[in-house]
Amino acid sequence: MPVQGARALSDLTITEPLNRPVAALLRPCEIRAFVENVKQTQGNLENIFIISCTCPGVIPASKLLREDREEILKNHSENIRNSCGACLEFVPGQQADMTVLVASDEPHKGTVIYLHTEKAVEIAEKLDSCTLETGKPPAELTSGILEARKKALKDLMRDIPAPGDGLQSLVSLFSACIGCRGCREACPLCSCILCDYETARTLHSPELVRTEAKRKGSIRVPAGTLQFQLGRLMHISPICTSCGQCSDVCPVDIPVADIFIRAANLVQESLDYAPGRDTDDTPPMATYVEKELPSITD
Amino acid sequence: MNSILKDLLRKALDNGIVSSVMVPSKGPGNSFPWTLVSDVSALQRAEPVPPVMSVQGAKALASFTQSMPEGKLLAVMRPCEARAAVELSKLEQIDLDNIILLTMDCPGAVPLGEYGEDGITEPDINDPATLRPLCRQCTGFTSAGDLCLAMHGGLNAVLPLTASGQELLDSLGFKAEADISGWEEWANAQRGERQVTRVENMENLKEAYSGLQGLIEVFSGCISCRSCRTVCPICYCRLCFIDMKDRRSPASEHLERSRNGGAARLMSNTLLFHIGRMAHMSLSCVSCGMCEDACPSDIPIGRLISMVSADTTAVFNYSAGSNPEDPLPLNTFLPEELHEYED
Repeated sequence: MPVQGARALSDLTITEPLNRPVAALLRPCEIRAFVENVKQTQGNLENIFIISCTCPGVIPASKLLREDREEILKNHSENIRNSCGACLEFVPGQQADMTVLVASDEPHKGTVIYLHTEKAVEIAEKLDSCTLETGKPPAELTSGILEARKKALKDLMRDIPAPGDGLQSLVSLFSACIGCRGCREACPLCSCILCDYETARTLHSPELVRTEAKRKGSIRVPAGTLQFQLGRLMHISPICTSCGQCSDVCPVDIPVADIFIRAANLVQESLDYAPGRDTDDTPPMATYVEKELPSITD
Repeated sequence: MNSILKDLLRKALDNGIVSSVMVPSKGPGNSFPWTLVSDVSALQRAEPVPPVMSVQGAKALASFTQSMPEGKLLAVMRPCEARAAVELSKLEQIDLDNIILLTMDCPGAVPLGEYGEDGITEPDINDPATLRPLCRQCTGFTSAGDLCLAMHGGLNAVLPLTASGQELLDSLGFKAEADISGWEEWANAQRGERQVTRVENMENLKEAYSGLQGLIEVFSGCISCRSCRTVCPICYCRLCFIDMKDRRSPASEHLERSRNGGAARLMSNTLLFHIGRMAHMSLSCVSCGMCEDACPSDIPIGRLISMVSADTTAVFNYSAGSNPEDPLPLNTFLPEELHEYED
């Protein structure tokens, strides 16, 4: 996944809706991210016909670049990203118009396409040499993959530092960060033109940096490495679609996506929000409810 | 840490000649973050020449020195970092007035992606395989800033390069080295070898990627993560020209392009971004290689920009970071110049 599809589609539609129909081939996480983009007025779904697939996951870019390409492609499922291995939403939701069966428990013959919308049925009329079905792909076709993914997600949630592990574990995790901000730029949901952590409001003033160095004896410069990571975690975790792009881009192999996936699972569960499911679901941070989250407020 | 350097840093802080030292230190895991040290005891963790360049030193320095109200700061950095600091001072991102730059005979740095227990642990100046591609062809590996720690040609001493460097050595009671000819000989020989590699690499790059088609090819793997820009010490703009709203193409224009060409790349400003960046920063490029180190797509971007920089600086007879007194070429108006480029 060189560029997350939602970013490309946002690039295409951010200024105006498409005036002609365009078919977009997107993985499920790319669809979900784009739905979130639409909610944040970073894109428009009009005239987009979405073709998706039961997603087998993608291979980390660095693996393909630096290791034996043929060998890795041969063993695709063993070489996918951590985030893909732990992804439970690899079957497209209601936003897709058609779904091509790619990942399935048992090998299948030929091209099998599931049609979800009238438009899809209309287009598919002209397709021969494909097996066409209407409705969602039956759950039993991919239930084995789902079980394996659930186990992987559980392991990921267990192994990545928890809030109880304290500040020091986070400091260690991000200590090698070189501040390239690749994670932010590659993220389909970090769409701000100017990030909060580049503004004069958030940057540490020269005076503060020197005062802190005096007070503590020594400090890390540039300051704000952890502040950036935690801030992004706070901004993104309610809407993170767990695509794994942030880990893929990291030049020092910090498991950024694992950290975000863990936080996203916990945050989205407590907010009862599923990012990318439906354009009508209002983003939790844009919703005011007078009485909510009693478990957290007390 | 080199004992002479250790002694110098300690004395400079202890005697209050400088109020702080900026130096890389050993962090958790295998990390080497820059630290601003005010207390002598914190110098114990200092690693003045870490195996990797995690953040370009000038970038770290610029994060807190736009103004320098009180007390002197001693910054220990690689020669390319000191040169970038000089460029940033010309660009008004660093106030060098109260800053002393101390560099060393730089062994080079291990590529970030190859550093680690299972990979390369130390750069070896004599083994190019342990160095980043830009370090292998670096001719400015020593003698930058105000002072330089010379460790070759039979020398182990801090040499003054400017008046403020000399002043620091005098105030600490460090004696001048009588004979530096062995070290100079070593540096000249090393520089000569590197120059050969550099010219050879540039020729190869030019051959492989010249013209628009070559650029399209080399940047085809770009994923627009902009890490090259973010880690570059010279790219200091808070909001890059490429991210401005007026750079966005309307959907209809994308469709038009696609119809005309049969297909059009989305995130269509990839090449504009890279060429624009070269136009903006190549005159001040110090060939530190940080951009190439950060690139997740293994694009030889540092070597490319360094090559472009060699050509653009030659036009203006400018050498990035060498002399703080040389004005930035694009900030200088001459009524008569560059006639050879007219017409």
